[in-house]
Amino acid sequence: MTTGIPYPEALSRLPPGGAQPMRPDPLPAPELLARHHPDHIGASRVTLAVGANRGDTCPPEVARLLQSNALVDDLDLAGAPLHTTDVLVVGGGGAGCAAALVAAAKGARVVLATKLRIGDSNTVMAEGGIQAAVGAEDSLQAHFEDTMRTGHFAADRALVARMVTDGPDVIRWLIRQGVSFDLATDQSACSRLLLKRAGGASAARILSYRDYTGLEIMRVLREAVDLDPGIEVWDGCPAVELLSDDYGACAGAVIYNLEWHSFVLVRSRATILATGGSGRLHLDRFATSNHYGATGDGLVLAYRIGAKLREADSFQYHPTGLAHPAWLAGSLISEAARSLGATLVNGLGERFIDELQPRDVVAAAMLRECAEGRAIERDGRTGLFLDSPSLEAREPGILGRRLVTLCHLAEKCGIDPAREPLLVHPTLHYQNGGVAIDASGFTGVRGLYCAGEVSGGIHGRNRMMGNALLDILSFGRRAGAKAASKLGGVRPGRAGIGHVYEWQRQLTAAGLPLHVKGPALFPSYGHFDLRADAGLRSGKGRIGSGRTTR
Amino acid sequence: MHRLNQVLLAMDRLVGADLAGWLAHGGGTGLARALDHPAGVIGVLAEADLRGMGGAGFPTHRKWAFVAAAGGSGGDRYVVCNGNEDEPGTFKDRFLLEHAPHQVIEGALIAATAVGANHVILYVNPHQTEALRTCREAVAQWLDHPLLARLAAQLGGAVTLAVVPSSGLYIGGEETAVVATIEGGFPFPRKKPPYPGQSGIRGAPTLINNTETLAHVPHILREGAAWYRDLGVGAACGTKLYSLSGDVLRPGLYELPMGTTLEDLIFSFGGGMLQGKEFKAVFTGGPSNTLLTKRDLDVPLDFESVRERRSRLGTGAMIVISEGTSIVRKVAEYVQFFADGSCGQCPPCKGGTFQLARLIHRIDTGRGIRADLEALENLCRILPGSGRCGLIDGAVTVVDSSLHTFREEYESHLLGR
Amino acid sequence: MAGTIVRATVDGRAVEVPGGQSILQAYVAAGHTLVEGVGCMGLGVCGSCRVLVRRAGAAEVRAELACQSLIEDGMQVSFLAYFKAERPHRYRIEDVADSWRMLDKVPEVFPEAAHCRHCSGCDRACPKHLEVQIGVERAVAGDLTAAAAAFDQCIMCNLCTLACPEHIRPNHLGLFVRRMVASQTLRPVDLLQRLHQIAEAQMAVDPDAPGGRAPAG
Repeated sequence: MTTGIPYPEALSRLPPGGAQPMRPDPLPAPELLARHHPDHIGASRVTLAVGANRGDTCPPEVARLLQSNALVDDLDLAGAPLHTTDVLVVGGGGAGCAAALVAAAKGARVVLATKLRIGDSNTVMAEGGIQAAVGAEDSLQAHFEDTMRTGHFAADRALVARMVTDGPDVIRWLIRQGVSFDLATDQSACSRLLLKRAGGASAARILSYRDYTGLEIMRVLREAVDLDPGIEVWDGCPAVELLSDDYGACAGAVIYNLEWHSFVLVRSRATILATGGSGRLHLDRFATSNHYGATGDGLVLAYRIGAKLREADSFQYHPTGLAHPAWLAGSLISEAARSLGATLVNGLGERFIDELQPRDVVAAAMLRECAEGRAIERDGRTGLFLDSPSLEAREPGILGRRLVTLCHLAEKCGIDPAREPLLVHPTLHYQNGGVAIDASGFTGVRGLYCAGEVSGGIHGRNRMMGNALLDILSFGRRAGAKAASKLGGVRPGRAGIGHVYEWQRQLTAAGLPLHVKGPALFPSYGHFDLRADAGLRSGKGRIGSGRTTR
Repeated sequence: MHRLNQVLLAMDRLVGADLAGWLAHGGGTGLARALDHPAGVIGVLAEADLRGMGGAGFPTHRKWAFVAAAGGSGGDRYVVCNGNEDEPGTFKDRFLLEHAPHQVIEGALIAATAVGANHVILYVNPHQTEALRTCREAVAQWLDHPLLARLAAQLGGAVTLAVVPSSGLYIGGEETAVVATIEGGFPFPRKKPPYPGQSGIRGAPTLINNTETLAHVPHILREGAAWYRDLGVGAACGTKLYSLSGDVLRPGLYELPMGTTLEDLIFSFGGGMLQGKEFKAVFTGGPSNTLLTKRDLDVPLDFESVRERRSRLGTGAMIVISEGTSIVRKVAEYVQFFADGSCGQCPPCKGGTFQLARLIHRIDTGRGIRADLEALENLCRILPGSGRCGLIDGAVTVVDSSLHTFREEYESHLLGR
Repeated sequence: MAGTIVRATVDGRAVEVPGGQSILQAYVAAGHTLVEGVGCMGLGVCGSCRVLVRRAGAAEVRAELACQSLIEDGMQVSFLAYFKAERPHRYRIEDVADSWRMLDKVPEVFPEAAHCRHCSGCDRACPKHLEVQIGVERAVAGDLTAAAAAFDQCIMCNLCTLACPEHIRPNHLGLFVRRMVASQTLRPVDLLQRLHQIAEAQMAVDPDAPGGRAPAG
């Protein structure tokens, strides 16, 4: 491991006022990414040997789960009760709630099953805001092109066009549900929305509510779902496998009830996976800003039943994850800090990157500083300074007024951000790729839809700030509407885990081990063993052994 | 066999609101004696060793003496008869207030004489509508009685005698909550000290006694302390109302000599176990105390003897459980009662009883795992003493005790045991 | 202090780990299984990791968030399940049809709110230290702006709903007020204009425009 510059020394080199010039950079952005972005470091890539993406590469942690065997056998499900519904939504974040609300509004009976509790998701943690091109100087086309360019033109143009066009309507829908947004002026009647500019954007387009936009959206959507008589919410109920019919269509899911330690088979006309991302797989041992349940379950289940993935090797590392102290490592400092003018400074007191470059470029530049020994080291943690004192010096009061969450975080670190900089390091933040979908969230496997971070094609190989919240609501609503429609579902028939046997044949033919099981359900340090928890054969110990439930 | 229902529940004293009927069967004498020698009343109670029958068993004379000595002379003083009785398995006070309210009222007037109180309040649970109605009727009959006028003359001013409905909530029985309610507020328990005896209703010294406690007083004054002492078994004094319920053949309210054994109560008076089943345990009222089990059948039911078995006599409620009844389900029921009854002022009480109830409910409904037992025991260690009143402590005691005594039964409910 | 070993108990399980980590982190670091009572795990916004905490030597037991409190030596912790009120308030935000009647909606949907006993149980239960009781008071008084502000940072952990002896469900009341105000009054003119342009086909995306494609070479 490379070492950094000791903290006290680095601190003494931090120029007061933060007016230091940028260090000239001989390396063009593509070269910087190729050399320093984790996506491009070839040694950490594995080629998939089975499934719809055979031949593609992805990180080993993801490949291991994508090519895993099912957690359950048919016999394990003996005696499991059968529940039927029109639409099964798996996942209780923003995408799942939006899908459930729209499906229920169209008259479908909806079961929303979620591993943790409804609302416990990356959505609730989103700080920065949501993009929608409403500014007079802005346009849908600009939003479209910014998104394509930031994603290195890898995204599906049709999907991006749909999403950006949905933007203003998504905001209207949110306001109708009761979500607030910050306004540019205090004048309340017919004010303009407060717009912030995201890194890589050609116009100010971020709408926000303070710096907890995700919380504002999530608490409203959760309440709307909870109060909707057409939606049953099942907390503590992860999907452990999908159900398939004789024709290979998705016919529901096997749900595990963590409280009852037992399985339920949910037979549905349409199934929407809104399971979110995979930061808790800690690729390359990166800390993550993701919530506890982000273990890529939907990706694994969809792949096993035959769905195709895209850009599954591409992840976003948010530049400003907290690096110190250890217990808060990975916690996110919103991009809003950089939008408002906070700079990044290395251990030599130099600015080394334009902080408003796209996230992947900024993260790669930071990783370069770390790799080349110019980062700051404190108590064994390595990072770079986010120069909040200079920002406060330039605009007194701005931290307390505009960066509430940052101030809370600094308080937990035991520092005053107006006087002392925060130590930051890129943190695993977002799964850029995912299950390939069409404009209605359809995966190509009949009866199966995906929405939100689990899906791919919208952000290409790098996501813009604020496009994630738009994505989940745009495609969550689309998937919910299509799933609830007459043509969106599959006819009730026999449902089982037949596709799993076919999968096992493929695994065996490819010489892959059958003892590796997936999806992960919980991070490895969560010490969860489904078979033990359910008291299944070959499970270790008795039901629920080793576990505390509440 | 001991004599049954010889004082409070004697047939000829169950006259309801009929004051003349009460006066014809020994009523009035006690109060008259007290008015003759007000300064001697507390001494008589001390000699009789009368205890607080609401659960604590605190010597009544000490409480009276404390109030009598509180503050200066002059100003208001209150006597409150606490008839909020609401907990599962206790049904003695409502019976007294419905069928023999005058002995209670006379007891309260004697208390007023002894502590110099010019306000006497019957604080009655409004859910017991019949008791409330009878009390109002009974109080009205006292208002122009000469004894009341004598009391007023002695105190040098008017004496009020009134019925105040309580909130009917369980916490409303806690002394500071009684004060809060009578002052017109919600029955939120308050921090102690100050105790109501020092500073109670609107800051005035306030004596709060359980209904049954006050009912004993006129008889003691009339017949004398020695007579009262002799009613008890062994060292115990007087009689006690036992609310017997659960899996017995003849549940009901029994007045028996203080110190009657549990076995006598259940098998001689209660007619033994329902269906002839094996005796398993008793929740004493309650139900917030340590469970009594088979080896406690010989325990004399008085405050000291039960305390020696590490439990408490409480209100004298005995909820009997046979082998055919689930301890876990009973505890779940009672803990839910406490969770609902917790007022929410203290987060650990509201949160703690909620979590206790949830865990036990889970075990009771077949979803429990071993870790739930550990979590329960953990709560039993964290929670005691964390509330303003004793509600959380009572809930913890019954959980802890049942977990300790009937662990196997809990374990037999667990998934994949 | 970071590094020093601390000994604590969480849900009856021994936790013996280096200090300087949150209760949640300490719990999993000690090897225990964690599948509920956890969400964002560090940000303090999801309200899932509610715990009762008694610190060594303290008589007081406090309601806190396990991802926000550091583990300490001698700490005793119990997780608190998510409380769901038995009689959930039922409303559809769309049904607040007439914004001139917003004030009537508060007592209509939350009739209990007027019964506040001012016991401060909600304030004491709030792990975010919000002024819950004042928020309820303002909502009842019809000061919707002040009520909305009081609940601005609410994470909907439901501990105030659990605490309230009058079953007011303060956090849901606060959210109701906030939703009602936003849905009835927020009409940003720039959004209206853009929606109009899209509806009138005056603005659309051309997915084939050069700006959406990788530059040649």
